[in-house]
Amino acid sequence: MSNESRNLDQLQRWMQTVISWPGGVEAGIDSEAAQSEIPLESSELETIVTASSRQTSLERMGIYANAYYARLLECLSEEYSALVSAMGKTAFGAFSMEYLQEYHPTSYTLCDLGAHFPQFLTEHKPPAEENELNWTDFLIEVATLERVYSEVFDGPGIEQETLLTAEVLNSIQPEEWPEVTLKMAPCFRLMQFQFPVHEFISHVRKGNSPQIPEQQLTCLAITRRNYVVRREVVSQAEYLLLSKLQQGLNVGDAITCLAESDLMEPEELGTKLHKWFKHWTTAAFFIDVSKQ
Amino acid sequence: MLKPRLGHENLGLGVGLRTVHFHHILEHQPEVDWFEIISENFMDSAGRPRHVLEQIADRYPIVMHGVSLSIGSTDPLNREYLKKLKTLAESINARWISDHVCWTGVAGRNTHDLLPIPYNENTLTHLVKRIRIVQDILERPLILENPSSYLEFQDSTMSESEFVCRMAEEADCGLLLDVNNVYVSSVNHEFDPVKYIEMIPAERVVQCHLAGHTNCGTHLIDTHNGQVIDPVWNLFQLMHQRTEGVATLLEWDADIPPFPVVHEEVLKARKYMDENLPVRDQASKEKTVTSPSSTAIPHPASFIVAEVE
Ligand SMILES: [Fe+2]
Repeated sequence: MSNESRNLDQLQRWMQTVISWPGGVEAGIDSEAAQSEIPLESSELETIVTASSRQTSLERMGIYANAYYARLLECLSEEYSALVSAMGKTAFGAFSMEYLQEYHPTSYTLCDLGAHFPQFLTEHKPPAEENELNWTDFLIEVATLERVYSEVFDGPGIEQETLLTAEVLNSIQPEEWPEVTLKMAPCFRLMQFQFPVHEFISHVRKGNSPQIPEQQLTCLAITRRNYVVRREVVSQAEYLLLSKLQQGLNVGDAITCLAESDLMEPEELGTKLHKWFKHWTTAAFFIDVSKQ
Repeated sequence: MLKPRLGHENLGLGVGLRTVHFHHILEHQPEVDWFEIISENFMDSAGRPRHVLEQIADRYPIVMHGVSLSIGSTDPLNREYLKKLKTLAESINARWISDHVCWTGVAGRNTHDLLPIPYNENTLTHLVKRIRIVQDILERPLILENPSSYLEFQDSTMSESEFVCRMAEEADCGLLLDVNNVYVSSVNHEFDPVKYIEMIPAERVVQCHLAGHTNCGTHLIDTHNGQVIDPVWNLFQLMHQRTEGVATLLEWDADIPPFPVVHEEVLKARKYMDENLPVRDQASKEKTVTSPSSTAIPHPASFIVAEVE
């Protein structure tokens, strides 16, 4: 085969395999995947890549190989800074290496690079002992929330929308309310965690090195205002009601679910509901109402 | 006869738009001639990056610079990506769209690196064909940049400069001449950077890039992490004389200093644009790093971290 007629496709598949091989260039060249494209001993690399007067062909390939994981790892560390702090740099690096091999980057944008990281951690969770929550669960929750922050930050928002006003809500007659359904903001997310991961993440982003917190059921309402992600803790009762509304239940049915849940005393419900709806409207959790 | 810069305007001295400078630019509206954006950071954004870009595009000319076109790959062109590129260009009135003479991945993958191709007749035909398709889709000439590279292939039968010249002529595209990349590659591959610049068809050069790099002793890496060094300024001067001036932009992507420092660095170009001015004063000295593997990583694109309150 003449040099020039060597198939460009083979050369690219070979090079990509070699520079992304976790064990280094020589192991990459020896790998079955690379051998199937270009059968080659690593001592013969110079038949493909030239040497310079100061570097061997192996060293030159090594520049690309070294940069491959370093660059992607740096990018993941930026997105998952709290996870890095919780796991430690070394463990994070090791998990990232595994992740990048299992979920090869395929997108044109780096925004998608870490998209499957929480899922990857879940898939690699060690078998739980006696259903007990452990450190791994905490890590998965940190990763999950950090990814949600990224998605809410750059995804569709409500900055250009006309928001619901008190006038609109006041125009709804009391007897109409049970039939009303609410349209949530596209940036609204409702999340439940076993640990207060939101606080942990905030501490890390402020430059601190917080301790791993005690387990504590944590419900969060997340949205974006003025292009900044906001999160607030909500009670379990609020979480239940909001999740039913998010599922598309009308206000009446959602309240019935809450009343049947034992999460609060029936006599408390009336005053709380008014307060909650007022706040949720101001916080723009929902952006529209429709009367059936 | 081709018009100089393929008819594009000489936008003056610009700066690569980076997230860390968003606030400064919006608040101080600095007197910068133009900005270049990394296209991939904005084409899907519906959040703050896009919102900031729209405000900046209202006030300054914008050029789109991509890192994922992968024009040299044997994978099919990503039509969805090209469509988004075109939509963004229209919405911010981008003056032109550029990317690199490279491939970024194959078999559906993206290494997020600018990988070199062998320079020979086969790859030339391959690129020319693809550039023409891209230009048809974008309905405008594509502007392609010479990359920094760290290896060369036995399969190459011509020099990079010859390849780039022929590619530009045959595909009828524009060139983004990165004089720092010419310098980096000339050291790594031991060729004469002056001859390279002299060979480039001047009227096809639409834009120029300036940047700093890292000297790793045995080779240079295009890290965009500092000032432009004198030999690169000299290449810039030569390019300027040959083209009679093109839109010039400074890239600074790692250890990014405050905006005024970056802006000041590109303004130094003025000294090299007037032949009557002496240009030799405080030279920016190049440092050699001792453990290059940990620090010297080229970053074609960057990740934008979410802001959370
Ligand atoms: Fe460049």
